[in-house]
Amino acid sequence: MRGRLVAVLAYIGAAVTLAIAACVPFVLMGLFTKAVAHAGLHVDDAYSGGTVVRSVTRTSETGSYRIDVYRTVRPHALQQIDPFVQIAFRPVAALPKRVCEEVDLDGDGQADVRVSFTVPADPKARPAGEVVALNGKYQSFRMPGSYSFSELMVESGGAVVVRVPLAQGR
Amino acid sequence: MASQSLSRPRPEKPPFRSIGRAALLTLPMALWALLMFTPAFREPGRNSHIGALAVIVFMTALFFMMMHTGKTYRWRRIFFVALGLLFPVGFIASLIALRGTMSIPIERMVSGDTPFCYMVIPMIVLPAALTRSVVFPGSILPTASNPHSIAVMIAIWLAMTLVVGKAWCSYVCFFGGIEEGVAAIPKRAKLRRIDPRLRLIPWAILIFIVVLSAATFEPVYCMWLCPFKTITEYPAVHSVETAIQMGIFITLFAGLVIVLPYLTKKRTQCGFFCPFGAFQSLFNKISLFEIRFDREKCVDCTLCRTMCPTMALSAESIREGKTLLNCMKCGACVDSCKKDAAVWHLKGTKVAVKPERARLLFLYGAWAMATMFGGSILANSIATMLHWLPLK
Repeated sequence: MRGRLVAVLAYIGAAVTLAIAACVPFVLMGLFTKAVAHAGLHVDDAYSGGTVVRSVTRTSETGSYRIDVYRTVRPHALQQIDPFVQIAFRPVAALPKRVCEEVDLDGDGQADVRVSFTVPADPKARPAGEVVALNGKYQSFRMPGSYSFSELMVESGGAVVVRVPLAQGR
Repeated sequence: MASQSLSRPRPEKPPFRSIGRAALLTLPMALWALLMFTPAFREPGRNSHIGALAVIVFMTALFFMMMHTGKTYRWRRIFFVALGLLFPVGFIASLIALRGTMSIPIERMVSGDTPFCYMVIPMIVLPAALTRSVVFPGSILPTASNPHSIAVMIAIWLAMTLVVGKAWCSYVCFFGGIEEGVAAIPKRAKLRRIDPRLRLIPWAILIFIVVLSAATFEPVYCMWLCPFKTITEYPAVHSVETAIQMGIFITLFAGLVIVLPYLTKKRTQCGFFCPFGAFQSLFNKISLFEIRFDREKCVDCTLCRTMCPTMALSAESIREGKTLLNCMKCGACVDSCKKDAAVWHLKGTKVAVKPERARLLFLYGAWAMATMFGGSILANSIATMLHWLPLK
C-alpha cells in the first residue's frame, strides 16, 4: 500500500516537473530573473567602480559634461587589486578634445589629482593622458601604459573612465 | 509493441514503435518547437527564419527517432554535438561583430559587458552570500550591449536545473558537445585503463575554486582554468600573466577536449575536470529521474561501464543497481545493454517496471529544455552562417 502511494507521488512529481518545464519560458524565467534582480546583488566594485559620491558639471565649447567621483574601492580579503578611486567624465560627445581637470577625490575641498587626456577621434582607440597626484594620497601614472582594474584610463559606457590608485596600497 | 512496453514490464528487445505511434508521441514536442520558434518568424530577416525552421525540423526529427527506435543516446548525441560545434560559431561571430575581436578588453569588463556563463555560478555563491557582491564583470540586468546578464543566466540555469538536474550536462550544456563529437570519431579507445579516482578531480577543483573565489573575489576558474575560453572569449593578452592564462586555456582545451576524448572515447573534460558538472551532480539527489539496473537481468558484462562517457558507473554501483552521483542521464548505458538490465527509472516506483514510461516522462522535460535553450543557440548560429555565405 505504502509502495503504491509512493509510486503515485512519484508520478505526480514527474507531472509537476513537466509542468515546470512548460512554464520555464513563459513564467519561470521572468520570475526568477526578477527574483535575482531584487535580491540586492550588485557587481563587485572592483569591476563596476562602486558608487558615485559626488558630481561636478563643467561647460566646454562642445557642451556641458559631468565629472562623477566614486567612493574609494578597497579590496576584500585576498582580492588582487589595489585600492582605487574611479572618476568618470561623461558624456564623451560633450568633452573637449583635450581635457585637463583638477579633481577632489576625497571630498575635503582640495584638489587631489590633475587628470589630463586627449579624447581620441577613433572610438576604438584608447584615450592618452596622465594623472598627476597633487598630494601623497594618490599615485601618478601615464596612459597608455599598464592597464589594471586599479589603474586605467579608458572609454567605457559613454564615458572616459579613470581609476586612480591610492598611494599607500592596502 | 509500444502499448506493451507502456503497460507491461519491459520486453527482452528494446521498444520499437510504429511510425504512426512514434509520430503521435512526437506531436507535443513538435508543437513545443513551433511555439518556441514562432517569434523568430515575426522578425525580419530570411536567415533567422531559415535557422528557426531548420531547428524545428531538426529537433522534432531527432525526438521522433528517439520514439521510433526506442534509443536515446545516439539521437541526443547528434543534437549535442551540433550544439557544441555551432555554439562557438554564433558566439564568436557576435563578438567579432560587436568588438572586432574574441578577446575582451578591460573597458568592456568595466562597463559590465562580459556575457555571463553558467560556469561561474558555483564561484559567485559564497561572495554573494557574504557581501552581496557578484564577482563577475557583467551586469545584473540585461542591457543593450549585454543581453546575457547575470540575472537572466541564473534564472535560465535555475529553471532548467529544476527540470533536468544533472542531465544539464547532456541536454543543455553548450560546451560538452565538442568532446562528445571527438570521442565518437575513433572506433575503439586507445587508452582503456583509466584510474577511477580521476572522477574525484572535478570535486577537488570545485572545492578549490569556490574557496579561492570567495577569498580573492575573482572568478578563479574563468581566469585560469576554463578550457573553453579558447573558443569563446578571453582577456586581451597584454602581459606575461595574460599570456600564461591563454597558454593554460589552449593546453587544457587541446588536452581535455580534443586529445584525451579521442584516445579514451570518454568526455574527459566533463568527467575528470569540469567543476560545474560536479556542482550539477548535487542536483541528482533531488531529481526524480535516474538510471537503475535490474539485478535479475544483469550479467555483469561491464559493457555499460565501457560505454559510459563520464565513468559514472562502478562495479559496486552496478551491484547495488545504481549509477554514481555524476550520472548525466545520457542513456548510453541503457542503449548499449544487451540484456535490458539498464533501465530508465522514476524514483519511488519499482525498478524495471514500466521503464519506458519513466524514459518518456524524462525525455519530454529534457528535450523541451534542449529545444528551448540549445535550439535557440543552433538557430542563431545557422542564421549567422547563412549571413556569411554569399547567397542571394
